[in-house]
Amino acid sequence: MLDCWSTNATVAKIRALHGNMLTKENYHEMLSRRSVPEAADYLAHSKRYKDAFKDVDPNTAHRGFLEGLLHKESFNTYIRLCRFQGLDKLPFYDFQVRKKEIECILSMINNINSELDNSYLTDLPGYVLDHSKISLLEMSRAQTYEELLKILKNTRYYKILVKIPPMADGSADYTECELRLRSEYYKDMLVAVDKDFMGEEAKELREMIYREIDSLNIINAYRMKAFFGYSAEEIKRRQIRIKEGPGRSGGLGRRLDRYYELDSPEAMTAWLDKTRYGRDGKNTDYIETKVNSAQHRYLSHVIARSVSAPVSLYAFMKLCSIEVSNIVHIIEAVRYGADPAVIENNLIIC
Amino acid sequence: MAIEKMALVNIVGLMDELDGALEKCCESGCFHIEPAFSSSDGAMKALNEKNEYARPLKNLSQLAVQLGVTLTETDFSACKLSSPGDFEEFFDKYDDKLSGLSKLRREKIQALSDLNGAVKQINHLRGLHSGFEKIFSCKHVSVRVGKLPTDNIPKLDYYDENFFFVPFETGKSFCWGMYFAPDADKDRVDDIFRSMYFERIRIPDFVTGDADEALCRLEEKIKENSAQLEDINGKIAVLAKDAEGELQTAFSKLRFLHDAFDLRRNAGEMNGKFYLKGFIPEKQEKRFDKLFEGFRSVSVIYLPPDADASCTPPTILKNNFLTRPFAMMVEMYGLPDYGGFNPTAFVAITYTLLFGIMFGDLGQGLVLVLGGLLLKKKLGAQASGMVTRVGLSSMVFGTLYGSFFGYEELLDPVFEKIGIDFLPLKVFKQTDFILLTAVGIGVALIVISMLINIYIGFKNKDYEKAVFGCNGIAGLVFYCSVAAGLVGTMLLDVKIMSAPFVIFLIVIPLICIFCRTPFSIAAKYKEWRLSADEEKMTVGNFIVENFFEMFEFLLSYVSNTMSFLRVGGFVLSHAGMMLVVMTLMDMCAAAAQPFVLVLGNVFVMVMEGMIVAIQIIRLEFYEIFSRFYEGGGKPFEPVGVKFSAQVE
Repeated sequence: MLDCWSTNATVAKIRALHGNMLTKENYHEMLSRRSVPEAADYLAHSKRYKDAFKDVDPNTAHRGFLEGLLHKESFNTYIRLCRFQGLDKLPFYDFQVRKKEIECILSMINNINSELDNSYLTDLPGYVLDHSKISLLEMSRAQTYEELLKILKNTRYYKILVKIPPMADGSADYTECELRLRSEYYKDMLVAVDKDFMGEEAKELREMIYREIDSLNIINAYRMKAFFGYSAEEIKRRQIRIKEGPGRSGGLGRRLDRYYELDSPEAMTAWLDKTRYGRDGKNTDYIETKVNSAQHRYLSHVIARSVSAPVSLYAFMKLCSIEVSNIVHIIEAVRYGADPAVIENNLIIC
Repeated sequence: MAIEKMALVNIVGLMDELDGALEKCCESGCFHIEPAFSSSDGAMKALNEKNEYARPLKNLSQLAVQLGVTLTETDFSACKLSSPGDFEEFFDKYDDKLSGLSKLRREKIQALSDLNGAVKQINHLRGLHSGFEKIFSCKHVSVRVGKLPTDNIPKLDYYDENFFFVPFETGKSFCWGMYFAPDADKDRVDDIFRSMYFERIRIPDFVTGDADEALCRLEEKIKENSAQLEDINGKIAVLAKDAEGELQTAFSKLRFLHDAFDLRRNAGEMNGKFYLKGFIPEKQEKRFDKLFEGFRSVSVIYLPPDADASCTPPTILKNNFLTRPFAMMVEMYGLPDYGGFNPTAFVAITYTLLFGIMFGDLGQGLVLVLGGLLLKKKLGAQASGMVTRVGLSSMVFGTLYGSFFGYEELLDPVFEKIGIDFLPLKVFKQTDFILLTAVGIGVALIVISMLINIYIGFKNKDYEKAVFGCNGIAGLVFYCSVAAGLVGTMLLDVKIMSAPFVIFLIVIPLICIFCRTPFSIAAKYKEWRLSADEEKMTVGNFIVENFFEMFEFLLSYVSNTMSFLRVGGFVLSHAGMMLVVMTLMDMCAAAAQPFVLVLGNVFVMVMEGMIVAIQIIRLEFYEIFSRFYEGGGKPFEPVGVKFSAQVE
């Protein structure tokens, strides 16, 4: 009973935070700002970001720093919510830290492959360091893929990455690494859900995870077809595939194969319009906006009706990430003087 | 108590007398202006010239701000300035003297701002014990002072470059410090720090010594500059003192001329003549005529208020001394149309009566009366008038309840001596009586509202409203019959709900309400149509639409009547709250009892008083006004020039 109550407190807190998120009107007002400092000042005076921007002078802060600050605020919100009632004791609640770790590893592999000096350290989000179980800073010393594997030796990522053979020049297949890391992440998440939760709660979490995988696959497949002309087989090989066992369903699963096999990007969009990821969606040419808007609508609905802390938290963090991407989009548009009407149409809002 | 009779006024004259005519209109204080060109046949032109007084007005306003003069309304009869050029000259006279001082002041303020900024930055570097000039004069080492996001501090150790960072102060978001790099690696190191969003701070050249010394020196400079700034401010204050009198009269006159010029936008021009149009109260005609006697070409023509279809006459409520304060409530809802019904008297009676019933206490009522009289200036005539009247009503009903500041037995001996045994009314012993009386009052007020609606309907020859509507004769018969039937059957045990009673007094009125539109069309135009619109309405649509409307009407009869239960509820709640105060007082020590009594009474008066006042407004607007009142009138706004120091 006590557990039930504690869950309710977190859910209530999440709903309150959700109520403070930026609305369509806020985005519109922000887009009407004429410079980045003005846009930053708008955020500094918003209920949602005023604490994060407390010490920042909008007139001198760099655009990249502002973007980092938004990501940091989103991450810190997640940490605060997990710690609020000690939820982080369950492995499931690591999901955001793990996501960041994967992003860092991929950034490092990219750094090795492209032989860019220090770009990994520059991009490394400092706020994750205290929460990660792997030495993200130590990783920066790696010069080759093999050295990176040595540093990751006693971590869960070693087993995944060791199966990918290094190339002669010390680099590794980035796409393969990304596919494996993400696939294992979602597999682990589903295992954690099955282990830690049950009933309706587990069902809702599974549904969210499968939808997230579907969204990623749909967007990636479209890009591969539209911009690189990949064949259906090539596309299928590069998709995140998770086996849907008994009681484990929620995504489009095998039905997506028909989508990969379509001849043109137009046919893919038309097919998508008949699914829940495109139906009643925004009238836009951008597949990301279309699919993520559908996700946004679904996740907002989840937060409104769910009384489960993990479900609400997972949905809320996804919404936070959408919000940050919208703001980043707006800041870039303000910086480069893009047409506000076009940008507004491509924002992910329901 | 009705609505003031108005007259439509047309003023015509030669263009050179337009400004004079407008000034007279302002002076009259009773001329409601309407755009003259709205009714023209196209030949009349609107006057949309640029206001020549706008620029001097802006200049004088800025001058006042710079001199620190607060502009107030001043008598300008002695001011000789009149044309825009005169005001420009006046402005230049003071601006020449002020501009030099203002420039100096701006420079000093900027210098002080820079110094304070430097203090703020150097405060973050308090751990620095070497002189800034020494550090910055290094030949082979570059030094950068600034702040780095705290999250990026741990990364510094992992850069394989030749530099070191010295932190001085670490906050939640930023770490203040400086980094040193050899000149040869300067660019690379700068790039690294830039990529980590290091924000450089420029230390002013005049900052020398270590942080503490620099701060001392800066404080001295701040003092020096502050003294100089004070001196300049003193000179400006002397200038302001000299200019203030002239500036006030000049600005007031300029404001008047500027705003009067703006009124020209309402005038029309045709063949070198101006046309003004508006309304004045009929009784002001003679006085208005007199104002225009001195003009050579201006003629004033009076017409009936409905003579021009392009403009609607405004409404002035005509009320007597007793009811005037309650006009505020009617205005709040919306004024009646010109020629409509003025409900102020009805509101005054019902509001006063209901407040007295719900907030009956002789002592508290007396406080309200005294408060209303004493705070007349602060509250305004209308609000204080209302408080005084409702306070009197509260005293009357407080006497009937025998309640004096919560003492419920204090007046018992008085009534005993007079020999009235049914008074005072013991609220908690006669709960049923109070609640039934409250509903009874509600029924009476609803019936009166319906009667007013019937009167208005007949007056406007609107038969749907007067006869067939839910608040017309049909609605009244139905409502009274149902009320009488229920009272007879349930309270008096008289069986009056016979078949003819039900058919003639309930069913037939209901049919009338259901078919109110076709019946009223038949009565007025002698033809059968289901809808007043040109579009044809099908029988099915008619039945569905009216079924739901009927449902709403019936529901409103019940809910509006039951809403008056709150009147009884508040009688009980007021008595209950005072009982709590008295109980609390009894529980306290003797010395604290007067405080508890006073505080309790103040609390009840403020809270209960406000709630009761709001609840009655609700009853008035929802239960009563909705039955007969349509607030679509236009307020009477006499043209005039109001002084304002604000310049757009």
